[in-house]
Amino acid sequence: MRVSTDPGTTRDPGPPGMECVAVSKRFGAVQALDDLTVTFGAAATGLLGANGAGKSTLLRAALGLSRPDSGTLRILGLDTVADRGEVRRRVGYMPEHPCLPADMSAQDVCVQLARLRGLGRRDAVRRTSEVLFAVGLEEERRRPVGSYSLGMQQRTKLAQALVHGPDLVLLDEPTSGLDPAGREEMLAIVRRLSTELGIRVIASSHVLEDIERTCDEVVVLRSGTLAAQRGVEVDHVLAGPVELRTTGDTGGFAAALEPLLAPHGVTLAPTASGDIGLSASSDAVLDLVRDLAAERGTGVLRLVPAERGLEDVVVDAMGVHRG
Amino acid sequence: MAEREGTDSPRAVLHDIRYSRYDGVLRPRSSAVSGFVASSVRRPLGLRRSAGSKVWPFLLLAAAYLPALAVVAVPLLVPQVPLQPTELISYPNLLTTNSVVLLAFVATAVPSMLTRDRRDRVLSLYFATALSWVEYVVGTALAAVVLLALVVLGPLLVLFVGSIATADDPGGWLGDNLGDLPRIVLAALLVVLFHAALGLAVGSLTSKRVFAVGGYLAVVLVGPVITRVLALVLASDWPLALDPTTGPVLLATAVLDGSGGPGTLAWVVWSVVVAGGFGLLARRYSGGSDA
Repeated sequence: MRVSTDPGTTRDPGPPGMECVAVSKRFGAVQALDDLTVTFGAAATGLLGANGAGKSTLLRAALGLSRPDSGTLRILGLDTVADRGEVRRRVGYMPEHPCLPADMSAQDVCVQLARLRGLGRRDAVRRTSEVLFAVGLEEERRRPVGSYSLGMQQRTKLAQALVHGPDLVLLDEPTSGLDPAGREEMLAIVRRLSTELGIRVIASSHVLEDIERTCDEVVVLRSGTLAAQRGVEVDHVLAGPVELRTTGDTGGFAAALEPLLAPHGVTLAPTASGDIGLSASSDAVLDLVRDLAAERGTGVLRLVPAERGLEDVVVDAMGVHRG
Repeated sequence: MAEREGTDSPRAVLHDIRYSRYDGVLRPRSSAVSGFVASSVRRPLGLRRSAGSKVWPFLLLAAAYLPALAVVAVPLLVPQVPLQPTELISYPNLLTTNSVVLLAFVATAVPSMLTRDRRDRVLSLYFATALSWVEYVVGTALAAVVLLALVVLGPLLVLFVGSIATADDPGGWLGDNLGDLPRIVLAALLVVLFHAALGLAVGSLTSKRVFAVGGYLAVVLVGPVITRVLALVLASDWPLALDPTTGPVLLATAVLDGSGGPGTLAWVVWSVVVAGGFGLLARRYSGGSDA
C-alpha cells in the first residue's frame, strides 16, 4: 500500500509564503494598501483586520486579480506579476463569496479546475477523490453544488483549492456563514493543512479565535498598513508577574501585602489601570495573597498574568476600543 | 498496492485515497484550454447535467439534422427514388432552412456561456489559479464555434456523406464532388463565426442571461426589419446587405454555389461584426479582472 508521507516534517520550508515590499494600492479616494511591507513566513498565517483594512485587496493582489500601484509582491519567492503562470500553478485559492457553478457537482467542479491547472484527466479524477475525501464530501460528491448546504459549499471551495496539490493556499474567510458545527469541521480541516499535509496557509478572518486555532502567526492590518505581527502561541511564564485587583481599599491591601511578600523577593507596583502589580507569582506568594484577602475580608476581583495576550495585541492593533 | 505473495497477479488491490502531494508532470497549457473547450461545449448541451437540461438543446439539434437525415434516408430506404440527396435539397437550401434553428440555438447557448460564469462568480477562481484571461477568451470562442458548427456544419456534412452513401458509384461521386468539401466548411465557418462573435459580444456586456438572450434576439430579429424599411425608404437594395440574419447566409450561399452574392458591403459588415465582436470580448476580459 502506498502510504502518504508527512510532508510537513520532511519538506524544506523554502521561501516564505508571501512577501510584500512597499506595496500600495489605491481605489479612487481609498488607499487600500499603504506602503505595506510584511513577510508571511510561518506555516500558517492568519490575516486579521477590520472591514476595509486591506485583507481582501492584499489577497487579490497576491493572486494577480488586481495589480499593485507600486511595490513588489512575491508568492513562494515568485513575482506575482512576472511569474504569473507559476504562481497560478503553485497556489490554491478559496474565495469568501459563493463562486461555484450551481448546476455542477463537486466532483465535476474539482475535476474541471484540476484540468485547467494542467493535470491530465486521470490524475484530475484521482486527486478529486482524494481531496473530496479529505474534506469529508466523498458521499455527496455527485450532487449538484446548488443543493449543498453552506458548509458543504465551503468544503467544496476548499477542495478545489487543494486539488492540484498547491504549496500555498489562500483562504478568504473560510468559516464565513457557517453554523457552529460546520465551523468546527472547517477549522479542523484548515488546521490539518499546515500540520499534517504540509501546505502553507494564509487565512484571512474577522474572528481571532479562528486564527488562534488554525494558524501559527497572526498579521494584523489597519488601513492598509501593518499594525502587528506576532506568533499565536503565547508562552506564559509560570510564576511570572501578575496583576491583582481587589475590592475595597486597594492601597491598604497593597500596604498590608508588601511586607508579607518582601521575604520572597517580590516587589509591588501600581499598574496603569490602578491594579496591584506583583513582580512574581509563585505558589507561596499566591497563598499569601489568598490568606491576606481572607483575613481582611477582601474580595479578589482579578488575578491575571501581566504579560499581554494575543487578544490584547490584536485589539490594540486593530484600533478597537473596548468598553 | 498489496499482492498475495507467491502469485503473479494481484487478487485484490487497495487504493489509498488519503490526500497526498501531487508530484506528477503538468500538461502543456493547450491541454488545459482544450479541456476548458470540451467542458464549455458540454454545458450548453446539458451533458453531465439533469435530463431536463438536455431537452431543449437536443430538440434544436434534432430539428437541425432532421432535413438532412430525411433526404439521405429517403434514397437509402426507398430504392425506387432515383434522386440524390443533394437533388432533394441543395447545400444553400439546407443552410437557409436551418437559419431559424440556428438563431434559436445561438440565443440559448452562446451568450449564456459568458453570463453563467459571471452569475456564478466563477471567474475569480479561473483567473486566480486556473486560466489566464486570454486562455478563457480563446477557449470560450472556440467552444462557441464548435457548438455552432454542430448545428451549421454537421447537417451539411450529413448531406455530403449521405450523398456518397446513396450514390450508384460512391468512389466516382466522391472524386467528382470532393471539391465541394472545402466550400462547405468555408461556408459554414462564415455563418458560425458571425453568430459566435455576435452572441459572445452581447453576452460579454451583461451578467444577466435574460438580457443577453434578449439583446441577441433583438439584433437578429429587429435588424432585418430595419434594413427592409431602409431599403423601402431609400428605394435601394444596398441596406439589405446590413441584415444580420440573412447576410451571413447569403455570403455562405455565394461561397457554396459560386454566385456573385450580396456584394462587398455584406463582406464589410461580416468582417466588422466578427472582428468587433471578438475584439469586444477580448477587451471585456483583458487584464484578468473578475469584475
